[in-house]
Amino acid sequence: MKNRLEYILFIFALAFFLLSGCAHDRKKGSTPHFDPTAVSPVSQDQDISLSKETPSDLEMNDEFFDEFEEEYKGRSGRVADPLSPWNRAMFHFNDKFYFWLLKPVSKGYKAIVPEVVRIGVSNFFCNLGTPIRLTSCLLQGKMKATGTELVRFLMNSTVGVLGFGDPAQKCLKLDITDEDLGQTLGVYGIGNGFYVVWPLLGPSTLRDSVGMVGDWFLDPVLYVEPFGAKLGILSYEKVNETSFRIGDYESIRDAAIEPYEAFRDAYIQYRKTKVEK
Amino acid sequence: MKSLLYCVLFSMILSQTAMADDTKVAEELLKGKINAVILVLEKKELEQQTQKKEIIKIVMPIFDFSLMAKLALGKKYWPGLTKEQKQRFSELFIKLLKDSYSEKILLYTDEKIHFETPVQVKKKVHVPTVLNSKNNNISMLYKLYKSKNSWRVYDIEVQGVSLISTYRSQFDEVLRTGTIDDLLLKLEKPKNK
Repeated sequence: MKNRLEYILFIFALAFFLLSGCAHDRKKGSTPHFDPTAVSPVSQDQDISLSKETPSDLEMNDEFFDEFEEEYKGRSGRVADPLSPWNRAMFHFNDKFYFWLLKPVSKGYKAIVPEVVRIGVSNFFCNLGTPIRLTSCLLQGKMKATGTELVRFLMNSTVGVLGFGDPAQKCLKLDITDEDLGQTLGVYGIGNGFYVVWPLLGPSTLRDSVGMVGDWFLDPVLYVEPFGAKLGILSYEKVNETSFRIGDYESIRDAAIEPYEAFRDAYIQYRKTKVEK
Repeated sequence: MKSLLYCVLFSMILSQTAMADDTKVAEELLKGKINAVILVLEKKELEQQTQKKEIIKIVMPIFDFSLMAKLALGKKYWPGLTKEQKQRFSELFIKLLKDSYSEKILLYTDEKIHFETPVQVKKKVHVPTVLNSKNNNISMLYKLYKSKNSWRVYDIEVQGVSLISTYRSQFDEVLRTGTIDDLLLKLEKPKNK
């Protein structure tokens, strides 16, 4: 317990003292980027009258329908779900976990800790994830991305002070390549297998779970001893990440008719897109 | 022979520019609307309810909500509905889309929206945008088709997840075991928040 606290305090202290200048400074209230010449004047009244959204045209020309059907037939997020009862229970558990614990804690954390620190912490953990991304890029034969990851790691660990800053992105415009072993297996042609929802970890598939176990071995945090410290760091990382995404989960959940199916479908589509990238 | 070649070449160039024009027109249209939405979002003095209304007003002409309703049920179910069911379903689903879109967009704080080069996919145009948010980038793909008088959005993909596709599988789930009336009931039921 004491150890874990020490670790968290250590990260906090580092964050506070070292990085104020290094992290991305995203200024509050900065105007969105867009080409001013591209803004076309919007005369709303005219536009409204142009296309009243009355569902009067309820019939649909077959040919026209087919044109769209084709697009959706191939790309649904269909997946075998033999563990459905377990998965539904876990989905429910994770949902409650989010609303009762993760969300209030993250909200409190967000209120106390300045954004610049949270971004720094997020950068730090992202930098620690380099071995996972680097290995996956390498195994997929993505040489350019491998190089990028390497340069990013070297630069951010040094100039970026242990990864709290992200000068590689800021100065060299080098973005991370978000690869993991689950995606690598996907690139090798291995299918999803079946859908599975893990407690706390969320949606996954057989393939991605195998990948996840591999990823663990590449994650430096997993080599932290004792177990309590490891757990503390992982929880802290989760809270920090969640502090940026409060409201995201709710908005997807509220827009769904069948939340369980919605998240299952979204997960499969999301991973599929990532594998294809 | 040579003149034929020129002819083919010429028509190819012509069709190319026509295509380029199409994607350009679609992109500009979308840009205009999104920028107008951002302007509303920046008016922090407005009440949220007013903001929502304004935003819906702006996107109405470019979002083809009634087509989205049809696509969400798909050819498998849509033609089998009675006229009343179609009407009722469209009403409820469009309301759901509008609510969730305007609610989602109110989460917007100070992200930058970056437009990438649009892609022509068969007869459609896909306009990729990236939302640079606090500590990550979110990709949003707007899919447009050419309707009688202009380009209109029929689907949005967020991080590769298609809105329509996700609804399709949910509706399929409900309709596999239940009837269309069950689905309408589910759509009517207000969410417990």
